[in-house]
Amino acid sequence: MEKSSKKWRYGINRWLILLFVILNIFFVYYVYYPVLPHIALPAENVSQQFLSLPLFGDIYLTNTLIATLIADVILILIAIAVNRAVKSGNLIPKGLPGAIEAILEVINNLTETTAGKWSKNIFPFFATITLLVLIVNWMELIPGVDSIGRLEHVEHGHPITEVISGSGIWPLLDESNVEGADVQEGEFNLIPFVRVASTDLNFTVALALISVTMTQVFGFRALGATYFTKFVNVGGIFRRPVFGAIDFAVGLLELISEISKLLSFSFRLFGNIFAGSVLLFVIGTLIPVFVQSLFLGLEFFVGLIQALVFGMLTMVFMAQATQGHGEHHEEEEAHA
Amino acid sequence: MEVAAARLIGAGLAMVGTIGAGIGIGMLVNGAVQGIARNPDASGDVQTNMILGIAFTEAVAIYCLVVALLILFVG
Repeated sequence: MEKSSKKWRYGINRWLILLFVILNIFFVYYVYYPVLPHIALPAENVSQQFLSLPLFGDIYLTNTLIATLIADVILILIAIAVNRAVKSGNLIPKGLPGAIEAILEVINNLTETTAGKWSKNIFPFFATITLLVLIVNWMELIPGVDSIGRLEHVEHGHPITEVISGSGIWPLLDESNVEGADVQEGEFNLIPFVRVASTDLNFTVALALISVTMTQVFGFRALGATYFTKFVNVGGIFRRPVFGAIDFAVGLLELISEISKLLSFSFRLFGNIFAGSVLLFVIGTLIPVFVQSLFLGLEFFVGLIQALVFGMLTMVFMAQATQGHGEHHEEEEAHA
Repeated sequence: MEVAAARLIGAGLAMVGTIGAGIGIGMLVNGAVQGIARNPDASGDVQTNMILGIAFTEAVAIYCLVVALLILFVG
């Protein structure tokens, strides 16, 4: 930061923060006290019925799907902005394109040092996964995500008076739903329109499947059919029976480790972000003043780390798959 | 109500597994920081590998967390 802008901004920001804290206290205790939202593992349906396909059955428009679509749109807009900046001929991009260039440069350097000659093929996966997961994770921090939605009549929920607070400020709710039901007795839950996509196992498993499948594809492209001898290793079983059998067992373990990669990829992202949003819910209802800001900072960090880790692990696994046993040592020597 | 109580106890017990991950991450960072202190030039490489290792170790803790969440919120 430059000194000149810091001088006057610091004074204003201080009072703005104080104003927001006071407003926060006022709103929380006099206008609308937050209630703990219903915590559900599967994504909720926003539409009654979206599509009906012959093979897959009914497909609903879930709120995590909406979040994924929004993240896609944001990514495409960023891509268009960067494309425009590149086409303008200015070699030093400013603002958003500059930031994206810095991020991509870091990712590219990491890929090149790890993957070597395959970095051109692996880089797109690393970058795409990292950027998508990063945007999806950071959507958690936007006010309104997870909190704006429609009310739905459920068995175990909050009484309507608690949800609406009887104060004139309420979530965008389905009017007919509320008026039609018995206002005093019914129990209601908020079904948010947008919910962070990483809190849906469908999203994380899909990404993990893409990552692990493409790892096998890269391994096959780099090493040919010999890649699969890593899993079914029968080469040495006749020449030296004891060690051959051990090699065969190790190959089976490799096969299992590929499957466990799938599990750890999907559950790591899902667990971190789901636990993060539950934490935010609980803290937001326990101490609705100021404390949640600190946890938003923590979630900002966790979202970044998880996106980086997902992308980086994908890259490392792909790089390992492209390197055979002998080739690996040669490349290390070449680097040293 | 007994099932609900058992659920809470089970979720709490499931999170005991995070002890191991905590010890693991502590040892990992211990090693990495010592390595960086001895050879500050290698801090970039060490950091990358440290974060990868932490991610693997943390995954175990996250499994516990997922199990606890499943016990609490599913079924």
